[in-house]
Amino acid sequence: MNSIETKDITYHYPNGSNVLENINFKVENGSKVALLGANGAGKSTLFLHFNGIIKPTSGTLFIDGEEVKYDNKSLMKLRQKIGIVFQNPDDQLIAPTVMEDVAYGPLNIGLSKKEIKERVKESLKQVGMEGFEKIAPHQLSGGQKKRVAIAGILAMKPQIMVLDEPTSGLDPKGASHIMKLLYELNKKGITIVISTHDVDMVPLYASKVYIMSAGHIIKEGTPQEIFSDVKTVRDANLRLPRIAHLMEILDKKDDEFFCKPPYPLTIGEARERLSKI
Amino acid sequence: MFEDFLDRYAQSNAIRNVNTYYKMLFGIITMIVSLVSTSPIMPLIIFGLVSFVILFKAKIPAKFYLKLVMVPLTFASITFVFMAVWFGTGSYIYNFGIFNLGVTVNGFNLGFLVFARMMGGFACLAFLGLTTPLTEIFSVLETFKFPEALLEITMLMYRYVFVSINEAINMYHAQQTRLGYSGFKKSYKSMGMLLGNIFIRTWIIGEKSFVSMRSRCYDGTFNTMDESDNIKSIKLKNLVMLTLFESILIIGVYFTSSFTVF
Repeated sequence: MNSIETKDITYHYPNGSNVLENINFKVENGSKVALLGANGAGKSTLFLHFNGIIKPTSGTLFIDGEEVKYDNKSLMKLRQKIGIVFQNPDDQLIAPTVMEDVAYGPLNIGLSKKEIKERVKESLKQVGMEGFEKIAPHQLSGGQKKRVAIAGILAMKPQIMVLDEPTSGLDPKGASHIMKLLYELNKKGITIVISTHDVDMVPLYASKVYIMSAGHIIKEGTPQEIFSDVKTVRDANLRLPRIAHLMEILDKKDDEFFCKPPYPLTIGEARERLSKI
Repeated sequence: MFEDFLDRYAQSNAIRNVNTYYKMLFGIITMIVSLVSTSPIMPLIIFGLVSFVILFKAKIPAKFYLKLVMVPLTFASITFVFMAVWFGTGSYIYNFGIFNLGVTVNGFNLGFLVFARMMGGFACLAFLGLTTPLTEIFSVLETFKFPEALLEITMLMYRYVFVSINEAINMYHAQQTRLGYSGFKKSYKSMGMLLGNIFIRTWIIGEKSFVSMRSRCYDGTFNTMDESDNIKSIKLKNLVMLTLFESILIIGVYFTSSFTVF
């Protein structure tokens, strides 16, 4: 079953400009999906639909097979089930201390103080921020803020997590830490959807990839299928992973026999290919 | 930055762990005593005593406190001068001779009283601000049934003041590198642009934060974890000392009530 499924979702602003057109986006239960697209392609707008923040101008959204309803009660349940972590952590950290911010979601759900304390402790531990409970958000670094924002969503125990550019603005170690965390969460059963520009990370992480351009989904498939279609990738203002690009150059310019398509996408795949020579 | 220091001292001063209720009782009652005094002596004494507590008990650096005191001092001094010259009727201490202006007895006394009250009240407020993290004050206010909507707005403001100041500073630096403040007229124009831009940015941040809050099931109700100190955990000895201290102050107010400088 699909955790998220959109059927022909179209969304445009009141002044008429089309932001999303006929989006058919499917996320299988328990999978890891990456949404690639240039700036302004419409990724963030699509994500806002998943929490019921935006209603599509036309088309329908199905979560776990059920059509999404927009009354208060259904929205509460929807927002517990799907947690969205936005791009800028400063927009998400709203409370005076880390502890209060992570507790915000569980408080709104109405859990007991004891349960909330446990969840806060657990979530902070999962993101590696235990001990920061009494710290104010403005005293944290960018990466720490991002982790606290994720902890805030984890504390609500969602089944599906949607992250808008989770590694943007993070140093390599921070980015790697976040991706490792998302990998662990997925192993525990949480469906993960991320939007990103970081093409090098996509084949390492995602099992299914969608490319968006100017409000349309122009290609979907496994990372291998996506990056084999080099023209589409480049037309969407994206690029191949560096390893694949190297292989492409060695193939097209130097005509090396071991670099024929399908190009290896990761260091691991390249190593395997090269060791066979 | 400056506001960062205030917050940092509140978190790390020497009397941070003293019961919040105790500190608030001390600060607020002393402030009230200072404000009801009808002579300038007690408020000035209160200013001295509370400053002593701030500097030697809470161990706030003197340089920082002096900088902080400059603000109300300037304002109070200006108020004093204006009141001394323009307020009041009665006999003149010093007559300028023109436009019937001069320093009158009533004006001087009133001005000095206001000056003293301002400084006394400020010291108490500074005490609270420098020794108690705002988050703990919020918890106390909530216990006293402070209106929820107001508390929620205050807490959000506290968080986003830092974000806005940071953005403003970044913008200011960006303008400086493009010579935006290299002259009087240019500075005015740049400052105007900065303020306008900050206004728009904070509005946008507000919208985005609202989206985040709704994503986390915000439904208009105000809930907190309520982890404040207990008012009952103030030791009796300390409570007695506080009552004694305030009583002495109040007696002092009574006995100096008719004192005036002129």
